[in-house]
Amino acid sequence: MSQAGAPRITAFVCNWCTYAGADLAGTSRLQYAPEVRIVKLPCTGRISPLFILKAFEGGADAVLVSGCHPGDCHYTSGNYHARRRWGLLRKLLDLTGIDSRRLQFSWISAAEGQKFADLINDLTAKVREAGPFAGANPARKRLAPAPEEAQGPRRES
Amino acid sequence: MSPTPSLREDAARLLREGRVKLVIGYRAHAGGGQGPAVPEGACRAPLAGGGGRRPAFIEEAHRAGELVFDGACSQNLAAYLKKPEVRARMPLAIVASEAVGRSLVSLAAESQFAQGALLALAFRGERYEGVKEVEELAALAREAAPEPRRDPDIGRRLAELAAWPAQRRAEWWSARFSRCTRCYACRAACPGCYCQRCVTERNVPQWVSTAALGHGNYAWNMIRAFHQAGRCTLCGACASACPQGLPLMLLNTFLAAQAAEQFDVEAGLDPAAKPLIGTWDPEDDNSFFT
Ligand code: SF4
Ligand code: SF4
Ligand code: FES
Repeated sequence: MSQAGAPRITAFVCNWCTYAGADLAGTSRLQYAPEVRIVKLPCTGRISPLFILKAFEGGADAVLVSGCHPGDCHYTSGNYHARRRWGLLRKLLDLTGIDSRRLQFSWISAAEGQKFADLINDLTAKVREAGPFAGANPARKRLAPAPEEAQGPRRES
Repeated sequence: MSPTPSLREDAARLLREGRVKLVIGYRAHAGGGQGPAVPEGACRAPLAGGGGRRPAFIEEAHRAGELVFDGACSQNLAAYLKKPEVRARMPLAIVASEAVGRSLVSLAAESQFAQGALLALAFRGERYEGVKEVEELAALAREAAPEPRRDPDIGRRLAELAAWPAQRRAEWWSARFSRCTRCYACRAACPGCYCQRCVTERNVPQWVSTAALGHGNYAWNMIRAFHQAGRCTLCGACASACPQGLPLMLLNTFLAAQAAEQFDVEAGLDPAAKPLIGTWDPEDDNSFFT
């Protein structure tokens, strides 16, 4: 969380649908929580798992990933490829401590400005409720290794 | 009867007839000694105590007598197929336990060697099955493992972790990842980790910090495991290579179970399988999207 206690949300969105939807929310003067930082990519297919890890590493309290509805991808199948990756990645991150309140996915079209504004408000509220991630964030940049006694036994399954 | 005579005969014959240029197998290690420990969750026979086994690279028929095979032969020889000096000696034959066999099938599915470039001297348990093409090897693997094989202890451990709050899971994993020294022995031991340049070594831009600290270790272990999703055959080589004893089989087994559950994918059984990541289906799970 930033100094003011507002959650830091990183949103990875595709250029053709969700970014246009966010733009529509703006031009329609819809109010939504200001804590979100939008990163625009050409397509959800371009959103590598590394981007998501990097955002958490940099201290994001939550990450939103959003693009064109299935069937509407500008490049026909980028979002189908992405959906499969995320189906696995989100489970792996959940296992290691980044649960689904912190990593959310949506499909938002260029016409869904209202859906974008609602989603950001909803996500912000959920992340506020979950509390600051900093201490518990397993991906966060820390400068010292965990103390020896916290590292657990050698050889375990 | 010991399988060794027929194994040696087949290896010698393949070399003599010029069908292969190299046979990769196991030999007894003069010094005896302990091989690497087999981690829990590895789908292969536990070490028969004290039997030191080393890889053997045999190019001349008269040396085929050095070959041995028993339960102590636990190293995954398929990892040698990554080496350019080994690839230069194709066609080759490789002594294939069930675990090695599954790795070979999975590599064939990923077009990692040309058809006919590889023969297996296949075993099922300690029974010698003879010289097999990849297709036959896959049939053997399907026969041997009709049900997905997961270590029940690992399953229990995963269920235990799943019941914890996320914060406790994060702490538990962070403590373990912080032991990682980034030696990449896990990567070197895995037949599936064959990229010429690993993402962790790319530095423009640097996505995965190479510092052996919390954030770099988290990113590295996530990416290593994720890149194996739907590909890992649960051979256990990575975990037994890890000098720091990280519970890598928990990550691998978890993802293998997810691949099976979400996408009905079981690695190493079908040489014509499509890659899990890299293909898609319009009917894939959409329930986690708002
Ligand atoms: S990641 Fe899977 S296939 Fe690779 S060494 Fe580990 S257990 Fe074997
Ligand atoms: S073998 Fe173990 S210590 Fe070495 S890089 Fe892999 S996980 Fe880290
Ligand atoms: S262009 Fe929007 S998801 Fe591909």
